[in-house]
Amino acid sequence: MPGASPRPQRPFVRRLREHPLLLVALLLQSALVLLPLIYMLSTSFKLPVEVFEVPMRWIPRELRIENYVEPLQQRPFVRWFINSTIVAVSVTFLNLVTSVLAGYSFAKFSYPGRNILFGFILATFFIPLEAFIVPLFILVRDLGWLNTYAGLIIPAGGNAFAIFFMRQNIMTLPNDLIEAARIDGASEPRIVLSVILPLMRTAISSIAIFCFMWNWNSFLYPLLVATQDAYRTLPIGLASFESAYSTNYPQLMAVSFLAMLPVLIVFFVLQRQFIEAIALQGVKG
Amino acid sequence: MPRLRISVRARQNAWGFAFALPAVVLFGVFAVYPILRTFYLSVHRYSLVGTPEYVGAANFRFILTDPGFAQTLRNTGFYALGTYVPVLALALVMALALNTGVPFRNVFRVINFIPVVISWAIVAIVWKILFHHQGLINQALVQLGFERIPWLQSTSAAPWAVIIPSIWKELGFYTVIFLAGLQTIPRIFYEAARIDGAGTLQAFRFITLPLLRPILFFATIIAVIEGVKVFIPQFVMTGGGPSGATKVIAVSIYETAFAFGRMGRAAAMSVLLFAIVLILTLTQNLVYGRDRS
Repeated sequence: MPGASPRPQRPFVRRLREHPLLLVALLLQSALVLLPLIYMLSTSFKLPVEVFEVPMRWIPRELRIENYVEPLQQRPFVRWFINSTIVAVSVTFLNLVTSVLAGYSFAKFSYPGRNILFGFILATFFIPLEAFIVPLFILVRDLGWLNTYAGLIIPAGGNAFAIFFMRQNIMTLPNDLIEAARIDGASEPRIVLSVILPLMRTAISSIAIFCFMWNWNSFLYPLLVATQDAYRTLPIGLASFESAYSTNYPQLMAVSFLAMLPVLIVFFVLQRQFIEAIALQGVKG
Repeated sequence: MPRLRISVRARQNAWGFAFALPAVVLFGVFAVYPILRTFYLSVHRYSLVGTPEYVGAANFRFILTDPGFAQTLRNTGFYALGTYVPVLALALVMALALNTGVPFRNVFRVINFIPVVISWAIVAIVWKILFHHQGLINQALVQLGFERIPWLQSTSAAPWAVIIPSIWKELGFYTVIFLAGLQTIPRIFYEAARIDGAGTLQAFRFITLPLLRPILFFATIIAVIEGVKVFIPQFVMTGGGPSGATKVIAVSIYETAFAFGRMGRAAAMSVLLFAIVLILTLTQNLVYGRDRS
């Protein structure tokens, strides 16, 4: 963080003694955050009749692994998982391409209409998808893209925030760097590949993380565009499973837990980057 | 050689324009066009088949005189305030707590962020079971000597049954944003204030709040948009029920368009949603702009 001075590291015991109440409060808060997730895991191994037992048994009598297997045989969860992966990875890649190129264009070139184009794109950041979902659905239907990967991927390929974020970052690059490459005879596309990309690595990984996260969790749009099982994404598949099998709570919790696991693992591996990507959103935005 | 220079510049700019093109085309086709089309459809009758028929302001007249839609607007406002006022306040408290030397603060920061990465669909499904009549929350209430609350069946409790998971899910996002803001404030400001004899509250009032203002502004704008466009928790947990008690604008748009096939009426609701977001964003902009000067 610019401007932040390093905090002197005091011995652990002293820090503990300085903030006892705060520590207790934060422990309670963490417990509240984790409780629903532990409940989910615990319920996922039970028999349906055990779910509402009083008092609640946090450690099930026996671990019913079947709860994790049976739903996968009843409904195409694996397919939904693959769909979610294909869609989120492609959308993220598309977003990186469009945001790096457009961000560079809006930051370092001055052609007529540049500000108007940027203004239009930025304005859409403040317009929620829910406000134009009806004509968007009609358009995608008229293109023949309902229940296709194209329909799930291409319309989500541009993100106003990602473009704004790349522009802000590229603006901080010195112009001399680009001019020097030009004098060396580099073509414009080559400058993007060998000057802009390597210098924008942190910004790119931030965009990759939040685009992936948004898209992996996206709901309303795939709900409308993918109505057939074969093209549903995981959140939509889960919601449809919930409305059809809602009484088998252990199975419902098992598949929900499975669906949550990949993102959770990625999050724990990349937690620093995740949190920084979100933090930068606020500071740069 | 001025002519050569111009043509070099022009060629560069042509490349610059070409770089913007993929984004411009995607936004033109999949954002700007449907946004304009929303306004067009809002004054037509259309049911996904045939051609739209011009009906003037009939769609707006209908929704604005419909008591059900008035209820929907109130529900949306209640949800947005009920969720994001606590979220923003608690997030600021959390950020201040995590910005101290408290032990394990990185662990707390990560735990607090977990709900942010989980799909809303999953969050809604889990909380639906927690709010079950015999579920964990009612069990706890009985233990504490209270009556069970029919969370998802009563019109007075259901709005809260949707708000509580939302606070749980959204808190971590705003905490991280505020924490990043706090960390940009140079520590030396606080030391200077302490030397001048300022207490903790004064330092918060005269250093933290003013320097955090741009981030507070950004966070409030995001929160307002998130609040009024909310869809998933209501859609998954209550379907907008019981008797419309949790029906919000986005659920109403979805239902009107895709269950009742009234595209024009849904588009009119969308125009209203758009107007609400615009007014709220501009108001905040004005307030922020005035305070800054």
